[in-house]
Amino acid sequence: MTAATAQDLLRLEHVDFSYRQRHSLFRVSDYPAIRDVSFSIERGESIGIIGRNGCGKSTLLRVIAGIYQPDNGAVVRACKNISLLSLSLGFDPLMSGRENAIIAGMLQGSSRADVEARLDEIIEFAELGAFIDEPIRTYSTGMRSRLGFSVAITLRTELLLIDEVLSVGDAHFKQKAEAVMVNRINSDQTVILVSHATTQVQKLCSRVIWMEQGSVREIGDPESIIQHYEAESVSAAHKPGKPTIAS
Amino acid sequence: MSYSRRQLVDVFLTKLKFNLKSEASKTYLGYVWWVLEPALFVLVLYLVFGIFRARGTPDFVIFLVIGKIPFLWFSKSVVNASNSILQARGLINQVIISKAFFPLLVVAQDLVKQLFVLTLMFVFLIWFGLEPNLAWLYFPLLFVVQLLLIVACSLITAMITPFLPDFKYILSTGMVLLMLMSGIFFDYREVILPKHQSLFLANPMARLLTEYRRILMDGQPPEWLPLSMIALISFLVIIALLRFYRRIDTPLARRVL
Repeated sequence: MTAATAQDLLRLEHVDFSYRQRHSLFRVSDYPAIRDVSFSIERGESIGIIGRNGCGKSTLLRVIAGIYQPDNGAVVRACKNISLLSLSLGFDPLMSGRENAIIAGMLQGSSRADVEARLDEIIEFAELGAFIDEPIRTYSTGMRSRLGFSVAITLRTELLLIDEVLSVGDAHFKQKAEAVMVNRINSDQTVILVSHATTQVQKLCSRVIWMEQGSVREIGDPESIIQHYEAESVSAAHKPGKPTIAS
Repeated sequence: MSYSRRQLVDVFLTKLKFNLKSEASKTYLGYVWWVLEPALFVLVLYLVFGIFRARGTPDFVIFLVIGKIPFLWFSKSVVNASNSILQARGLINQVIISKAFFPLLVVAQDLVKQLFVLTLMFVFLIWFGLEPNLAWLYFPLLFVVQLLLIVACSLITAMITPFLPDFKYILSTGMVLLMLMSGIFFDYREVILPKHQSLFLANPMARLLTEYRRILMDGQPPEWLPLSMIALISFLVIIALLRFYRRIDTPLARRVL
């Protein structure tokens, strides 16, 4: 791997990635999830990724985070820590919110002492109160994502990858999270945000990538790309096509 | 990002502690079950074979306990480890972490519990009239050899299950077979034909149980050659597998979606 330029925090070069699906003992097929994706992100930039369900957005985030190695191409990273926030969050359902926050913080690269020192701040931001000592399995989806988001935002990771996490909180928390994100983005936080909420993307992101069937369809300023994307979504919805659910 | 060894050890120990705690919190009696479960088990053996004398000599209960407790440790650890990577799918899809972390964590959890069980086992052995002797000092050594065997086998089963989900059925049948072949309920010298005895003892669990009984019941030092073979082979398998885990990291991550 070559080093990224001083400005680039992250660069993807012709990245391909496919899933191997095994149907039975001898039947295997490859499903290409990411095809020839190239782009780069500068430090302090915030990028939105939009696209229809199954177009490869979440897979792309995992490739960026390094959880999957690309089949072809390269991901060049110039950052020390990356935090991926997705709805599953990797929480252990039987452990308490507090314990999960400690593990999550440690997995984001902080020491246990550091996480514990900032635990009150995390709990306060997540607004979980006494619930923090209850097992995570009793939490609602919104509460879980609030906790995950609070850990990542409090411990300050260099590159924050957010996969739909902000869409599930209530309106009050969403507003608060957006406000702190704007704040962070202004002070050099780098963010990649996957979202179906185009208004949110427009508000937070300086550039947008529109993905379709694993490839980059368009990349550029939020306003025009979201406009193209929405125009096409509307026309696709009206087009008579093959039914997607077999009866 | 990748973690330094120190960070991994810290996360490992923290998670070990939390996991043990949350496991205990699943039941009303919590930690008590760690000793209550084997205690009940020994009680059953005592009722059937000690009081009713369904079979054999008075120290048959002792013979059974020394066979069954180490075997249970092996089978529980290896079976639990076989699910560990699939169960950690949430975390695996979240952070870059060596997948060997998860079976090792399960083995460590079962190791901690086994330490409590062993304390109880020794209490029973003495209570049932076994006299402590100097050969008991070999026990920690046998324990470490068995731990190496458990780690090696756990790394293998944990790696197979994500690629071959059907393996769990094979594994549970395999464990029953292994239990029958390890001489928990019989003394191989009485049951197995002399010409087949060396084959029987080629099974590392059968060998370990024989050696446990040799030091605890007969007060004899263990046979060194077979023990060191088990330790050496397990150690080499562990080293090789840890490397192999690094190579199949992405394929494993893809399998546990």
